[in-house]
Amino acid sequence: MDNLSLLAFGSDGWGDELLSGLLVTIQLAATTLPLGLLIGFAVAGASLSSHPWLRRFGRGYTTAARGIPELLTLFLVYNGIAMLLNAVWRWLDPEAGFVELSPFIAGVIALSVVFGAFSGEVLRGAFQALDRGQIEAGQAIGLSRWDLFRFIKLPQIWRFALPGLGNLWVNLIKDTALVSIIALNDLLRMTNIAVGATKKPFTFFLIACAAYWLLSILSEMVLARLEERANRGVRRA
Amino acid sequence: MNTQVIEKNSSQALEAPLIARDIHKSFGELEVLKGISLTSRQHDVTAILGSSGSGKSTFLRCLNLLEVPDAGELIVHGQQVRFKHNRLGEAVPEDEKLVERIRARLGMVFQQFNLWSHMTVLENCMVGPLRVLKQPRAEVEARARYYLNKVGLDNRVDHYPSHLSGGQQQRAAIARALTMEPDVMLFDEPTSALDPELVGEVLLVMRKLAEEGRTMIVVTHEMAFAREVSSHVMFLHQGLVEEEGAPEQLFRQQESERFRQFLSTNF
Amino acid sequence: MSFDTIIQYGHLLLEGTWLTIKLSGLALVVGALCAMPMAVARCSDRRWLSRPVRVYISFFRGTPMLAQLFLIYYGAGQYRHELQALNLWWLFRDPFYCALVTFALNTTAYQTELLRGGIQGVPRGEIEAAKAYGMSSWLRYRLIVLPHAYRIAFPALGNEVILLLKGSAIASVVTLFDLMGQTRTIFAKTFDFSIYLWAALLYLLITMLIVRVWRRLEDRLNPHLRQRTVQRSSTPAVAVAPTE
Ligand SMILES: Nc1ncnc2c1ncn2[C@@H]1O[C@H](COP(=O)(O)OP(=O)(O)O)[C@@H](O)[C@H]1O
Ligand SMILES: [Mg+2]
Repeated sequence: MDNLSLLAFGSDGWGDELLSGLLVTIQLAATTLPLGLLIGFAVAGASLSSHPWLRRFGRGYTTAARGIPELLTLFLVYNGIAMLLNAVWRWLDPEAGFVELSPFIAGVIALSVVFGAFSGEVLRGAFQALDRGQIEAGQAIGLSRWDLFRFIKLPQIWRFALPGLGNLWVNLIKDTALVSIIALNDLLRMTNIAVGATKKPFTFFLIACAAYWLLSILSEMVLARLEERANRGVRRA
Repeated sequence: MNTQVIEKNSSQALEAPLIARDIHKSFGELEVLKGISLTSRQHDVTAILGSSGSGKSTFLRCLNLLEVPDAGELIVHGQQVRFKHNRLGEAVPEDEKLVERIRARLGMVFQQFNLWSHMTVLENCMVGPLRVLKQPRAEVEARARYYLNKVGLDNRVDHYPSHLSGGQQQRAAIARALTMEPDVMLFDEPTSALDPELVGEVLLVMRKLAEEGRTMIVVTHEMAFAREVSSHVMFLHQGLVEEEGAPEQLFRQQESERFRQFLSTNF
Repeated sequence: MSFDTIIQYGHLLLEGTWLTIKLSGLALVVGALCAMPMAVARCSDRRWLSRPVRVYISFFRGTPMLAQLFLIYYGAGQYRHELQALNLWWLFRDPFYCALVTFALNTTAYQTELLRGGIQGVPRGEIEAAKAYGMSSWLRYRLIVLPHAYRIAFPALGNEVILLLKGSAIASVVTLFDLMGQTRTIFAKTFDFSIYLWAALLYLLITMLIVRVWRRLEDRLNPHLRQRTVQRSSTPAVAVAPTE
């Protein structure tokens, strides 16, 4: 079979399988993003809080989640949560069989934990870069705390944090590949399956790499546009 | 080249280490230098005056080829620098090695000091003579210390530039240039980036150098310095020499209306 | 939680740790050696020099290292005969070398990009001064641009050391018994979850150690950024450019 027909759709080509894997990869990243950002905001808030214990927690979480390999985090979550679930399950119903955590959910949780730690740092930096004068100006015209956050702080945080978050997004896309190890049918795993059937490892892994590369390049292009928008009204030095 | 030519060259070089004739330079459409000539003889102190944007820095940078002139003649220490045009039509020197040799004979002092921030003051002074001139270390170090002493930085030799005041940095930059023992010292507004109270210490050093008989070309806005220290004054306007001559005479009486105005606003 | 598992298998974890350090350390050194000339090429005005480096960086930074590892380790099999003919098969058959090559290629891309940032961050005036003192472009790079660029890029390079160390955990997927690999085997034998926690602790310890060491080195490397408190002796404390 030549390389092109290897990629055909339908029963004798691998095009549709790879595409479905690509979709799973995108789903995984897209589901992780909001969750991870939420954790990130929480961690940034904790690190900046006036409460010493919260601060300590924020710092500890960041150090741990950034210092442990993503793959290990994935296994920690996958096996750890599964064991916890099973313990609870058996306590409720001693007759129950073994339940398994879906790889997708495990992936989302593990990647969110990591994304949360890194984005927490980016957001903290952005918070700290806020211009005090503009906040005081907002207070001076009597904005409520929430409005102050929404209209004054958030757009600026967004602007400062965007480049860093953009990097993290690209990293996230790449990290999704790890979830293939716990048998999620993402792009890399579908590629593995195709390799097993066709015995053309180089061709298929190259295709997988190209697909990831394309995702990264597209993301970077979108991010460049977003940055441009976020920076309107800000003159470059 | 026969020996006679070398003889002739070096005798010419002795009296005029730097000759520039009819230097032209454009940046794209903008013609910045429209034909400027300058002969710098031994012990000359040439002051170049002119309002901002008149092309003073560009001219000075053409002299040590940080900018390559589009046309004109440049003879440094008896050696003529030849230019050619590359595929993009930009002027480039024919002999890159000659340019490096020439630069090593011309000491440059910048407005922004441009000390190498990862080296101490002493190392800043030593690296050129050691690596470019390939002189022996002991000799270079002794000389560097001598000149640092001379500019009043003997107790700052092991400091990094970021730990010095602007005036000290500029004096260190002067010592760095001196340690190369250049034939001609080029100064591009050496006091313009300094706080007013630090200007004096740098001018004092430059005055001492002039008194020692060093050949200097100084772009400056310090009129008192130009009048009292220089032996020759050039006033540039829009890329041309509007007026030039001996300071005693030029500062007493000006032909050019523009120069008169310039002096009245800059004193 | 009991300590039985760690007592019984602790030595395996340590062996794995050593492999992790060896693997990522070697890759980092190779990467550092390749990154310097590549960063210089990347900053060149000549398109035919900078372009390929840009594409290289973009590819290795834009694709998962796991996919790169598969491409090299499994992908080589597709060209087995050719590689055997070239006498290179031993390299691609061995998971250790494959992982090493992958990690080195990967970190080269990252280090090149960081160094590029450093090179472009060197103040223009300092380069200009180097020109004005007659330094050839080779001398300028060696004495002014690169020493300065490394200082600028140094903190980010420390980050890269940690990232590669963590990333090297995927070596376990191609049957290597690095720290992650040992952890997975021990877990498969014992089903004792605590072994993951021990592994996490070890990784954390290594990364924290690297952070410490790197901060020390940075301090050493940047005396010019340090606040001056004591008068130093007259001999230069650090052997920067002119000494040697
Ligand atoms: N590298 C350059 N590219 C384009 N224009 C330049 C460049 N350097 C100087 N110029 C322009 O040339 C003119 C003269 O500049 P300069 O020689 O620095 O003047 P001066 O030193 O007298 O203030 C200015 O209009 C400046 O904008
Ligand atoms: Mg100027």
